[in-house]
Order: sequence, then C-alpha cells, then structure tokens
Amino acid sequence: MSGILVFLEQRDGMVRQASIDLWNRLLEQAAADAERHPLFGIIAGPASTVGIETVLSGSGTIYHVSSDLLGLYQPEQYTQTVAELFERSGCSSLVFADTALSRDLAPRLSVRLGDSLLSGCSWPSAIGAGTCSRSVYSGSVVASFAAETGRRIYTISSQGSSAVPRKEGAIVIIPVDDLSGDTTRASAVVQMIAMTAARPDVSEAGIVVAGGRGMGSAEAFAMLDELAGLLGGAVGASRAVVDQGWRPHSEQIGQTGKTVAPRLYLACGISGSVQHLAGTGGAGTLAAINSDRHAPIYDVADFGIVGDVHTVIPKLIKEVREFLKKK
Amino acid sequence: MKIAVTVCFVPDTASVIDIVDGALDHSRLNLVMNPYDEYALEEAVRIRERHGKGSVTVFSAAPASSTELLRKVLARGADGAVLVPVEDAIDPCQTAMLLSQAVSGFYGDVLPDLVFSGKKSTDFQSEQVPVMLAELLGIASVSGVTALKETAEGFDAEREIENGIECSSVKLPALFSVEKGLNTPRNASIRAVMEARKKPIEIFPAGLAGKPHVRLTGLEPVARKKQCRFVRDEKELLGVLSDELHLL
Repeated sequence: MSGILVFLEQRDGMVRQASIDLWNRLLEQAAADAERHPLFGIIAGPASTVGIETVLSGSGTIYHVSSDLLGLYQPEQYTQTVAELFERSGCSSLVFADTALSRDLAPRLSVRLGDSLLSGCSWPSAIGAGTCSRSVYSGSVVASFAAETGRRIYTISSQGSSAVPRKEGAIVIIPVDDLSGDTTRASAVVQMIAMTAARPDVSEAGIVVAGGRGMGSAEAFAMLDELAGLLGGAVGASRAVVDQGWRPHSEQIGQTGKTVAPRLYLACGISGSVQHLAGTGGAGTLAAINSDRHAPIYDVADFGIVGDVHTVIPKLIKEVREFLKKK
Repeated sequence: MKIAVTVCFVPDTASVIDIVDGALDHSRLNLVMNPYDEYALEEAVRIRERHGKGSVTVFSAAPASSTELLRKVLARGADGAVLVPVEDAIDPCQTAMLLSQAVSGFYGDVLPDLVFSGKKSTDFQSEQVPVMLAELLGIASVSGVTALKETAEGFDAEREIENGIECSSVKLPALFSVEKGLNTPRNASIRAVMEARKKPIEIFPAGLAGKPHVRLTGLEPVARKKQCRFVRDEKELLGVLSDELHLL
C-alpha cells in the first residue's frame, strides 16, 4: 500500500477550498487504483467536520487534531503534528495545496523527516511516481524533477478549472489528541487579520481582472473592482502599478508577485512583459484590452479588444450587468 | 547584533533564456543579485545602522567565479561575505545544508542573532531554502515577511497569507525570509563601491554528504505564443466568454 496523506488546511474552523479541490482531484486520479493509493487526511486545529462527506469526494480516513493550540498556524506545532501523523499513517506521499501555509510548512517537514520535497507542482502530477513538473525562469521553461527518497512531500499548484464530479463514499474521522510536545514557543503566530473576506484572493480566484500601467491612475481601478465584483473574481496588478502605489503588493502578479491560475484572466492596459507573464502561465483563457495592437500581451492572449481601457471597460461592465440579469 | 544574509544570483530581466539540448544556455545570461535578496540585505543593514553597531555578513552558495558579483552585494552595505563554492547543480535542501555549515562555521558556537533571506529566487522559485536553513540551524523563522518591528523580546513580524495577514511574535535568534516591499533597497554609491573592494570575501569549502533529495531531470522550453482572436466589441467578447467558453 502506498497511501496518500492530504493536508486539509483549515482557517477559522473551515477546511479551505484549495484543500477540498486537491482531495477531490487526487481521489479522481487514485480512484482507478484506490486499493493501492488509499486517501488519508489531516485536519490540524479546531474545525467542524459535520457534513465533510458532502464536500469531500469518495472514501478516506481523516485524522483530526482539534487542539485549540493549532487554531492559528503555529509553525513548530504544525511541523511536529504533521510529522507524527505522516509516520503513523504509513503513507508514502504527503500532499499539500500550494498556499502561504504549505510553502512555510512543507520545507520544515522535508528537513525534519529527511523526505524529498517537490514544491509548486503543476497538475496533473504523478504522485505515485515521485515526479513533478513546474515552470521556471519566468514561465519560459518547464522543469521536471524526480524525488530520490522513498517518501515524498508535494505542494501542488491550485487550478482555476471547474470542480470534478463528486463520488459517493465513506469518510471516517479519527480524533487525535494534541501531539505537539513543544510548549516553549520561540515563534508564535499571535493573530490573523482577515481582509476583504467577500473577495477571493487573487492567487485563488477563478477569474482575475488585472490592470497595468495603461489604467493611468489608482482611481481607474475602481472600474476593475466593479468588474471583478460582478464576476466574483479578484483584482490583480502589474508591477508598474504596485510600484506606483496604485495597488497593494498583495495583488501583484508576475515574477516578484503572485502566480495565478484562473479559468479567465482579463488583462487591462497591461503590455505583457516577460516578468508579468511569469505569473499568468496557469491561466485557462487570457483576454486582453490594450490600445496598442502590437503590445506583446496579444502574443499570448486568446482574445483581444484593441481600444482604450477607459472606454472599453465601462461598456464591458454594462454588458456583464445585462448578462447577469438574464442569467 | 550579528546578522547573516543569504544571497543567490539569478539571470537579470534582459537575459535570454534558451534551452539547448535540454540544458540552459549560459552564454546570454547576465547574473545579478536575486531581487528578493536585495530586500533582505537592506533590512539587515538598516537594523545594524539603527543599533549603531554589529555586523552584516553575506553568505552565498555559488560558483567560485562569483566574487565579482559578491563585491556588488558588499557595496550595498554588508561588512563581509562568505562564499561556498558550488559547481554542480544541487537541490534546495543541499543549498540549505551548505549555507548552514557556512553560517555555523563562520560564527562558531554562538549563532547570529538574525538571518535574512529573500523569500525565493526568481529563477527556480522553489521557495524552500530559507525555511530549510532555519530548520537546520534550529532557529525560529517566519517566511514572506512584509513588516517587521523590533520589540523588547525580539521582533513582531507580519506576512501575507491568502486574503489576510498573519502576525507573529518571534524571539531571537531567528530567520526571516523577506517579501518584496518590506523596504526600498538603496542604490550603491560610488564610494560604497570603492569601499566594497577592501571588504573581506572568505571562501568556505563545505562538503556535501549524500545524494540530493530531488533531481532535475529535464528542461523544456515553453511555446507561449498563441493566435489571438481579435473581437469587434465588448458584446462579442462577452458572448465568446459566456456562450462559447462558459467561463462566466
């Protein structure tokens, strides 16, 4: 048996969508061979598991460490808890959705356990084979990696694609007592401040409406806020925009910002530098609005409107409103 | 306050990334200090300046030919550098091991109070080395720091998470991996460039035991060029996105 242990990240007592999507995709992939690759899960921290079988597909066993000490992400306690459960589960793979939490936790576990870490893997990923590929050098190259140890840790990039069909099954929850012996914390997360909870984070949004220098001003981004709000998406920004102070760095997409993988990326007034495109390689469909017919963004776009963002976007908002009314 | 800063070198934005026979063509690469490491070094130098004493030492696992690049790093305010010569491709864990040996070897029994690293390198973007280094040194760490405040006990740090900010309180010694925007790095003055010539660069020959955990098995160029379909107006675009592609 080479089971797969999935880290089900909770925040405020809710298992995060990125983890649920990962579980369901892994289930889909492993379903053909469920006996060889049974799924296990870990929930660290207090969380309601009532009704979890309605969001998690198929069958699996979930260890739940409901200790209040794990409510917020405490690096040392999480490392100890997950390491212990990885050993206990007998699984050969430990899999995370690629998030701010897992990018911090997975390297700690890799060193602590001496297991190889394949980070930022693109989907589909050959979990059983211990290989992974992902883009490097600003998205101009895809690199393939192979793990050299028997047990492996993966972080897997999110996909903005649609959800996989759910399979019936039985989810068994095994309550586990607090495992972290460490009470002297050299570092403690003391607070989590949530922002704009109504909007998805740009790194996890299904639709991203991104603006570049061509937007002309911070005020012009109100249009993009409105459009993203209508579409249930998030606003993104190019580096020039962030460096101007028009938008916060948390919205920057590209080489020194975030990597996004929405099903739709709408680039508004973005010329399309290599550094910006480094963050958009995972987008399903890319549509661009730019006044320059020869802007490099059109070399990588699926659809384009040549025009000034200040006239095109208000019209687009009007069309979206009408579309939503009919829907 | 003793502060260590880890630095690596990456192709600059004008470099031509070309894959020839499955390997990177180095002939048209121009290497520079990893942009994220600039924020790490700047933060270290500011803390030393604030305290009015202490030292900032740069550590890099890089080819032996990297001393000229390290001079440029020293011109940004570091007091000295330690170069761990590496010629073969190594994985993030091995990089962290070499840096850990160099840091321990340089400071002896007492670890530095602070270690700063860039959050990731812009070439491979593994985002693994800083936290692995902290783990190997056995010190606390926070990754992707966007704000830092010195306290009586150590530092209060903030980092961005999806839709929020995580606030930590950290005792020293500690490692912080740094996000873009923590500060505005200074440019090296001509005087600083001159002074950097006299600053020490130590060579630390560290040995690697064992094989890498992760092996790079291939590099493939990506063809990103698409045939863009230009639409007439907003109505047509919306029609394509909704009716044809069902994306909305």
